[in-house]
Amino acid sequence: MSVREIADDPKAYWSGLTRAEQGVSGFIIGFVVLLVGGLFTGILAPTYFLFLVGLAGMYSLLSLGLNVQWGYTGLINFSVAAFFGIGAYGTALASASSSPIAGNLAPVVGLLVALALAAILALLIGIPTLRLRADYLAIASIGLAEVVRIIILNEEQVTNGSSGVRGIPAFFDGWPLLETFPQTMPNIAVSWLPGGTVVLRQPFWSALLNVVVVVSFIAASYFVLRRAHRSPWGRVLRTIRSDEDLARALGKNTYRYKMQAFVLGSLIMALAGVFYAHLNLFVAPGDLDPITTFYVWVAVMLGGSGSNRGALFGGFVIVAIREGTRFLNAFEFIPFDIAPLRLLLIGVIIVLLMRFRPQGVLPPQRELIWPSVVDDAPEQPDSGVRGAKAGENDD
Amino acid sequence: MVLDLLASGLVYSSIIVLGSIGLSLVYSIANFANFAHGDTMTVGAYAALVTFGAVGSLGGTVLGLPYGFFVALVVGIGMAALVAVVTEKVVYEAMDVGSIGLLITSIGIAFVYRAVIQMGFGADFTRYDISALRPIDALLPYGIRVTLHDVAIVASATVLVVGLHVLLQYTDLGRKMRAMADNPDLARVSGIRTDRVKLATWVIGAGLAGAGGVFLGLFSRLAPRMGFDLLLIIFAAVILGGIGSVYGAMLGGVLIGMVTQLTPILSELGTILPLVPDSWGIPIGIEYANAIAFVIMVAVLLVRPSGIAGEAV
Repeated sequence: MSVREIADDPKAYWSGLTRAEQGVSGFIIGFVVLLVGGLFTGILAPTYFLFLVGLAGMYSLLSLGLNVQWGYTGLINFSVAAFFGIGAYGTALASASSSPIAGNLAPVVGLLVALALAAILALLIGIPTLRLRADYLAIASIGLAEVVRIIILNEEQVTNGSSGVRGIPAFFDGWPLLETFPQTMPNIAVSWLPGGTVVLRQPFWSALLNVVVVVSFIAASYFVLRRAHRSPWGRVLRTIRSDEDLARALGKNTYRYKMQAFVLGSLIMALAGVFYAHLNLFVAPGDLDPITTFYVWVAVMLGGSGSNRGALFGGFVIVAIREGTRFLNAFEFIPFDIAPLRLLLIGVIIVLLMRFRPQGVLPPQRELIWPSVVDDAPEQPDSGVRGAKAGENDD
Repeated sequence: MVLDLLASGLVYSSIIVLGSIGLSLVYSIANFANFAHGDTMTVGAYAALVTFGAVGSLGGTVLGLPYGFFVALVVGIGMAALVAVVTEKVVYEAMDVGSIGLLITSIGIAFVYRAVIQMGFGADFTRYDISALRPIDALLPYGIRVTLHDVAIVASATVLVVGLHVLLQYTDLGRKMRAMADNPDLARVSGIRTDRVKLATWVIGAGLAGAGGVFLGLFSRLAPRMGFDLLLIIFAAVILGGIGSVYGAMLGGVLIGMVTQLTPILSELGTILPLVPDSWGIPIGIEYANAIAFVIMVAVLLVRPSGIAGEAV
């Protein structure tokens, strides 16, 4: 359905959504209203707001990557943090001024280095583990991710060890025009806000550029994945997920397909790492902590395993949890430390999801079907027709 | 130096064994990889910390440990078992998501345990209020530096492991558990109340993990992450021994514990082995001890997924 059709008849569009979609749309609208309200009243600084958007984009990217592996193919990959880290370290070691090996290369070179390293690591982890049973794969992949973290922590002559890599340039360093964009943009004073005058300075424009980077990464990945998911290749992956023996009986080399999905997902995760390195301008071995892996898992499961939209949604929810709990620090009447609250929330969400809605909030439905097939089907009188046609009745 | 490392390997192994038995038991009877097992150890350790703080030393000591500590040990074991049983009743039992779903759920459970502990005790390290002992003088001439506490850990672990062995081999419950691990459906039609056996498994597995946690706290220190950090090592031990095999888990625990503690000699192999030059060695530092264990784990999964003692799948 195109945007114009939605604008012409918003009511029909709304009633055509499933209950879950209506709920998520309501949540997103409410969340956006809250954020815009925060911006207008001056509670939320515009630069910080853009930082949050960038972070949410990063988690969305990681979720998209994991979605290829777990959502499409059913691979339990617990080494997300390793690929995120190798992406971040790849670009950092190539482009940072304090890099112990190369350094001062253009960030685009860093991007390529990071992707190449991630592909190699994916092969190194994938070749031994992808033949394993599902639960063994989970244990083996988290073990190998820890090995990567230990190596990065201890090989100081290559990675600077625990002190991390500093002096990473912004992503557009060395580009014409965009490199100096934050400096050349004027300071714009926004005085019509009720929360007082806000001046948009250089950090704001830098943050805006970061958002541009992450949005273009996401857009590229999303369209590639959407196309791949519906393609014959994607159908084989989905068959492997639901019944690997069947796929093998149909003559598919499942190991090869699993490896392709694993590498593709890992590359997208590394992309998130590249973005993170140029957002944070500093990477350290702590960024490879396994907790990142589980944040991303929550995002994918919450969004709905196999659903790209769900992965995007999940990424934003994770940032809402991560950064939202920070605001609770302002309330002094809470008698305990806030930091573990985040962990508790993540844990409770995992348990509740698996208990009550293992398919996630936005499970893949019609995104698996070419839209023309659904839209060209004859009209039926009931509401929720599109949903019924996509076979999503609660039966 | 080798003797000293072997001794500390033995102490560390005892802790790993206590953890890996429980993980293996739960794997074979509840049929999933329980990622909350490490944090069950943490629960035991902190329950013992609170109890020991409350009851005090209670007079005399055994093997350098006050009586009160043994009371705390029992409470730690009981608390870990209680928490695991409540979790099984409230969460796992009602779920119908297969072994992969349970695996993912157990990660959530692990975070909940850890978060609650961190809320109560903070993220910092802490120790039991027991003063550290000097190494036993009689063993110092041999280069072995172990304290009475270390001896206590090994002795207690041995008692628990032997107790488990007796339970499995000579009691009714043990036979039922072995039957159920072998074939749950057959056990059920034979009239075994499998749900009760499952509950007993949780009590035993989590109880041993609780004991392991208490000893881990005594061996090094207590922190909310201590169990989760050890979990992968325990997985390595269980997989090396053969998933689902209790005796395999014991063997795997000893081997992995030894390997991680013996890592320092890898770089000085030349001075220990005959017939090779003194300068020869494998240049891997102690910081890679855990990494070696994980690589062994993956190698075992590849070459012999059934482990040392497991049956061929």
